[in-house]
Amino acid sequence: MTAAQRAEPLAPASPAAASHSVELRNVSRWYGNVVAVNDVSCSLGAGITGLLGPNGAGKTTILHMMAGLLRPSAGSVTVDGDAPAGRPDVYRTIALIPERESVQPFLTGYEFVLMSAKLQGLRDPVSAAKRCITLVDLESAQGRKISTYSKGMRQRIKIAGALVHDPGVILLDEPFNGMDPRQRIQMIDMLRGLAAAGCVIVISSHILEELNDLASNVLVMVAGRLAASGDFREIRRLMTDRPHTFTTKSSNDRALGASLLTDASVFGVELTPDHIVVRTADRGAMTRNLAGISRAAGIRLLEIRPTDESLESVFSYLVDR
Amino acid sequence: MNAPLERTVLWLTWRQLFARKRIYLAIAFSLLPVIFTLVFRFMAEDREGARMDFFSGLNRNLILGTLIPLAAAVFGTTAFGGEVDDGTIVYLLVKPIARWRLVLSKYVVAVLSTIAVMIPAMVLPWWIMEGTEVTYDMLVGFIAGGALGVSIYCAIFLTLGLASKRSLILSLLYVIGFEAVLSRSLVGVKSLSVREFSVAASLAASNESLTLKEYVVPMSTVWTMGTIFLVGAISLCLWKLSRYEVAERV
Repeated sequence: MTAAQRAEPLAPASPAAASHSVELRNVSRWYGNVVAVNDVSCSLGAGITGLLGPNGAGKTTILHMMAGLLRPSAGSVTVDGDAPAGRPDVYRTIALIPERESVQPFLTGYEFVLMSAKLQGLRDPVSAAKRCITLVDLESAQGRKISTYSKGMRQRIKIAGALVHDPGVILLDEPFNGMDPRQRIQMIDMLRGLAAAGCVIVISSHILEELNDLASNVLVMVAGRLAASGDFREIRRLMTDRPHTFTTKSSNDRALGASLLTDASVFGVELTPDHIVVRTADRGAMTRNLAGISRAAGIRLLEIRPTDESLESVFSYLVDR
Repeated sequence: MNAPLERTVLWLTWRQLFARKRIYLAIAFSLLPVIFTLVFRFMAEDREGARMDFFSGLNRNLILGTLIPLAAAVFGTTAFGGEVDDGTIVYLLVKPIARWRLVLSKYVVAVLSTIAVMIPAMVLPWWIMEGTEVTYDMLVGFIAGGALGVSIYCAIFLTLGLASKRSLILSLLYVIGFEAVLSRSLVGVKSLSVREFSVAASLAASNESLTLKEYVVPMSTVWTMGTIFLVGAISLCLWKLSRYEVAERV
């Protein structure tokens, strides 16, 4: 056994032995005259963080800098306190699942994952490879060449190869591409388990529906800048220049709508066949006053639901700014 | 301490180099001199000295001058270039392996692959032509010279594969333009030609069974320039890989 060989991970999604962190301080990266990332700072700990932004916003550049595959033009990127670029040892901690589908097509799925385990210097690479192939549910296809895999299968085998050493920091670039709904659910469950075990997980994705349930903490990139970061519901609350919208059902929608219009915090009510849509500039005041207004009017409230507190709404508001 | 060569990288590179149609290309490179030899053996007039002239010319012009640089260009540029082109190099870069071990492992596989093409291309014609004129010493000389050429060519082309997206085209331009044309026509350029290093080393290792009337680069120059080329190319390759950045895809 060489010095590079390490103890085998205990079990799938086993708790990370130590707490990990990723930190960006005033990071910029440019290619010639093109600024891809502009003065981004953030600090990430255990849990899932969604990295959002339209195409060209700089998401992949950020992920590659976190993975040490790109050096920042200015500022600093650290993983567990050290800069990852130019330090191969850091890949005992980091795993990157790149967006590109390309995986050595002449290898079978099993060979690819086993290769990753051997390159990580694991003591029992065969067991580690089998464990991760089971984790992504590819046992039945592991003997086939990767060139025969579908897009979703390639994504899963890449994830199996990346997780083979139980990394503490997992960076995923559009991981749900090509996966069917069942595979996505399975992958989401697996990522939740890893996050609960203490892993730092950063997911770049344009499929906001999945991230809506998966990652409450988000980094929103727009044109290379960090437009917002934190819990997306909290971000939404702070966006006071955008009206908040609720749907409300009651025993008398028309009367409730008329009563709500007398409240200063409400500036619009729309009547639909089965509910009313209420627009307010002051979310807190409206929700506080709503019960009193309905009680005074003798109306029974049946349901109140915010309609623009989804990640998608927050994202579109930020991008459209 | 880790072994200098990473076995999994050796295995992966070997699979990569001989995947798809490259295996047929390698066989063609190996068999071409055999076909020429068979045609000569059964068609040409068997005058005195003809076999030696043919064998010597075949090795110098076709094998040392053309096949070895071409095979080295294909294997050397593909060892890194193939992975750079299809993006799979990222799977090696995100592993805890020192960059110099990656470079050394890739280089060794490129050299062994080219030698695997070279050996049958030299031995089979020798076996067909063997006799009083074509001796074992001549074969040993050409193998030694070929091995020297392979080791330098592969270092150059390995680096080119990492440095340029058009590495194969640039390699072919180098082989055809510089090695095949310039170095043969200009004496001053010979001391920069890997092909000429191979010829000089072949003569030196052939136990005087090979002679040439034309100018041959002195062995002192071969060792000096060969070492500069080899160490320079490998160092550049290591530097390039250490500074390698995965291209942005948005």
